[in-house]
Amino acid sequence: MPALSRRGFLRGTAGGTVAVAAAAIVPAGCGRSYPQAAAVSLQVLSPKEFAVARAAAEALLPGVPVDPGAVAAAIDTELAIAGEPMRSDMKTVLSLMEHGTVLSFRRRRFTTLSVEARLAVLDDWARSRFNLRRAAYQALRGFVLYFAWIDDATRTVTRFPGPWPERVQVPVYPVDFGGIA
Amino acid sequence: MIIQGAGRTDAIRDRADVVVVGTGAGGGTLAAYLAERGWDVVMLEKGGFFRAEEFSQREEDAMADFNGRRGLDSTNDNAVFLNYAEAVGGSTVHYWGDSFRAPSDRLERWRREHGLDWMTESELAPHWGVIEEELGIHITPETLFNENNRLVRTGCETLGIEGHPPPTARIDCVGCGWTQFGCAYNRKTSQLITTIPRVSRAGGRVYSDAAVQRLVTSAGQVTGVEGALLDRGTRAPTGSFRVDAPIVVLAGGALGTAELLLNNVDDDVVGRRLYINPHYFVWADMGRPIDNQTGIPCAYVVHEFRRTRLDERGRYEGGGYIMLTNHQSPAIAAVMLGGTGAASTERMRRYRHLASVMSVIDEDLPGRVFIGRDGIRRTEFNVRGIDQLKAIDYLRNASRIFLAAGAQEVWIPDVYGTVVRSEADIATRITLRSVQPNAQFCAGSHLMGTAPLGTDPSDSFAGPTGEAHRVGGLYVADGAALPGSVSVDPSLTIMGVARWIAAGIHDRHGRAGA
Repeated sequence: MPALSRRGFLRGTAGGTVAVAAAAIVPAGCGRSYPQAAAVSLQVLSPKEFAVARAAAEALLPGVPVDPGAVAAAIDTELAIAGEPMRSDMKTVLSLMEHGTVLSFRRRRFTTLSVEARLAVLDDWARSRFNLRRAAYQALRGFVLYFAWIDDATRTVTRFPGPWPERVQVPVYPVDFGGIA
Repeated sequence: MIIQGAGRTDAIRDRADVVVVGTGAGGGTLAAYLAERGWDVVMLEKGGFFRAEEFSQREEDAMADFNGRRGLDSTNDNAVFLNYAEAVGGSTVHYWGDSFRAPSDRLERWRREHGLDWMTESELAPHWGVIEEELGIHITPETLFNENNRLVRTGCETLGIEGHPPPTARIDCVGCGWTQFGCAYNRKTSQLITTIPRVSRAGGRVYSDAAVQRLVTSAGQVTGVEGALLDRGTRAPTGSFRVDAPIVVLAGGALGTAELLLNNVDDDVVGRRLYINPHYFVWADMGRPIDNQTGIPCAYVVHEFRRTRLDERGRYEGGGYIMLTNHQSPAIAAVMLGGTGAASTERMRRYRHLASVMSVIDEDLPGRVFIGRDGIRRTEFNVRGIDQLKAIDYLRNASRIFLAAGAQEVWIPDVYGTVVRSEADIATRITLRSVQPNAQFCAGSHLMGTAPLGTDPSDSFAGPTGEAHRVGGLYVADGAALPGSVSVDPSLTIMGVARWIAAGIHDRHGRAGA
C-alpha cells in the first residue's frame, strides 16, 4: 500500500498548475550531463530524472543495504508499466526537485548537493506550509522507500523472516471453481 | 465457468438474464443468489483471476496483480491513498475479513434521511444470517490474537475503554499475517472462493480481465454492456466483448461503478459524495519483540469512540471513529512510518518491536469522484472541519492506549516526527498540523456512496429497490449504493444489501429470461 499514487496530484494542489508549467519549460538535460544513468537502460525516465531519483535514494536510505541506482531503476520500470498520469507527475516531481523552480529558490541543483544538503531540502519540503511541496515530498519519498524496502536484502535491518510461502508448508484448501477456461 | 479474458483477441458475444459488473462483496453475493435460483448469470470483472497458489504474500506481487491502479491510486492532491482491489473476488481478496452488521443507528439515519424504509435490522437480519453462515463468520478467537492485539486490549482494559474481538470471515485460519495480499491457503472466505465458484457451478459465466466501458440502452432501458478484454500485465485492450441482458447490476466498487456511470449516464448525483473512512496509523515502540507481522491483522476493535459526541450547542466533543489493530508488511510500513533519512531507517530497525492501530473515521464531510478533462477518473477528498477534530481525538486516544499498555514511545508518523512519551505530550504535541493534507500517510479503503440509494432522484441515483431512477433495468448493489458511511467495515453491510436487492429482483421479475 505505498503512498505513491500520483493521479494528477500536482495539478490538484494550489499552485500546482504553475509549478508543472514551470517544470515543463526546463529542458530535459538542462545543459548538464548526468553520468549516473550511463550504465542503465531507461524506459521512461530521462538521465536527469534518473539521477534525481538516485540522489534522493542516496539521501533517504542511509544504512539500508540497497543500491540507490537499483531503486531509481525500479522506479523507472514501475512508471513504464503504470502509465499516465502517474508517469508524468513523477517526472515533474523529479524535475522540480532538481531545479526548485517556483517551489523553492536554490542556486544549486539537487543532484550536486551533498547528502546532508539534500536531506535538508527534503525536510524543508516535508514541513512546508504549502500542500504542493508536501505532496511532492510524499510522492518521492514513497516511491523511494517502497522500492527499497521490498528488497529482501533489507531483512537484515528489519529482521523480517519473510512471508510464509517461503518457509512454511501449509496445505491449501481445495476449491471447485466449476471449470476454468 | 471462469473464463479468463486476458490476452484474448477475439470479440466475445454472450447473452444472459442478468449481467453483474464486478465480482466483490456486492456482486458476488447478488450473483450467487440469482444463479442458484435458476437465473442465467454473467459476471464481468476488470481484474484478473488469481488462485491461492498464486498469492506469494510479497508486496510487489499483490500491488501489481490486484491492487487498483497497481497500488498507485490517490486523491487529486495526493493526500489520501485509495486502497481497493481489482480481481475476481473484488476487494474481498485483500480485505481483512472484519464482518460487522451495520449499526442500528446507521440504519435509522438512512431510513430517516434517505427514505429507505426497508433498511431495518429485522429486514436485513435474515440475509446477514445466511451470509454469516455461508462465510463461516465468527467472533475472532483468542488463538488468533497476536501480541499487538493483546497489548491494545490491555491498554483498553487499563483505561476502561470498550473494545471487542470482531466477527471475522475465515475458516481454520493459520494466522500467517498476510491476508491483505490474498489468502494463500483458502482460509479467508472471500468471494473468490465462496460465491464466485457457486455462480460458476450453477452455470454462470465469470469473465476476468473484462473492463466494461459502455452501458447499452434503448428507450430508457438497459439492454447490455460492452467493453474491452485486457492484457493482464499491461492492462492494454486486446479484444472486446458484448453481453446482452435485460438487467444489469453495477457492483464494481464505489470508484468503478461511479466511473462507468459518469461515462454513460447523465445524472449529476453520481460521484457527488464519496465516503472513504479515513485511516490514520499510530505506531508504538514496545521495546521488545512484538512480531506483529504474524497473526491476523485485526483481532481487536476499539468501539468506545464510534459515536460522535456533540455538546448541547452542537460543538464537537469527541469520538466519531473506531480503531482497528493494524499490521503492515515491511515496505508498506516504511512508507507509513514517516521520517526522513536516518530517522526512517531507525524506525525500520525496530519493525519487529512495533505495535499499531489504525482509524476508521466516520466522516461527516465526503469527497467526490469525477472524470477529468483528460478523460481519466479522479477523486477529491479532504479530511477537514469536524473530521480533522475526529482524527486528532483518535491520535490522542490511540496514544493513551499504547502508553497504558507499556509503550516506550508512541509515533504519530507525521512530517514533524511527533513522538509521545507521556500524557502531557498528548495535548501539546498532537495538534491539527499533524492531519493537514500530506502531513502523514492517510488511506481510505471503505469506499462508499457514489451512486446512492434513496427516494429523492435529486439526491440519489437509484431508488430503494436498487434500480436506477432514470434507467430501467439498471441496478446498483455495491459500496456505491450505500447512502453514507457505515462507521465500521462495510463489507457485510454491502453483502446484506446486495442480497436484499437480489431477492427483490427475483421476486419482481422471476427469472427474467424464462
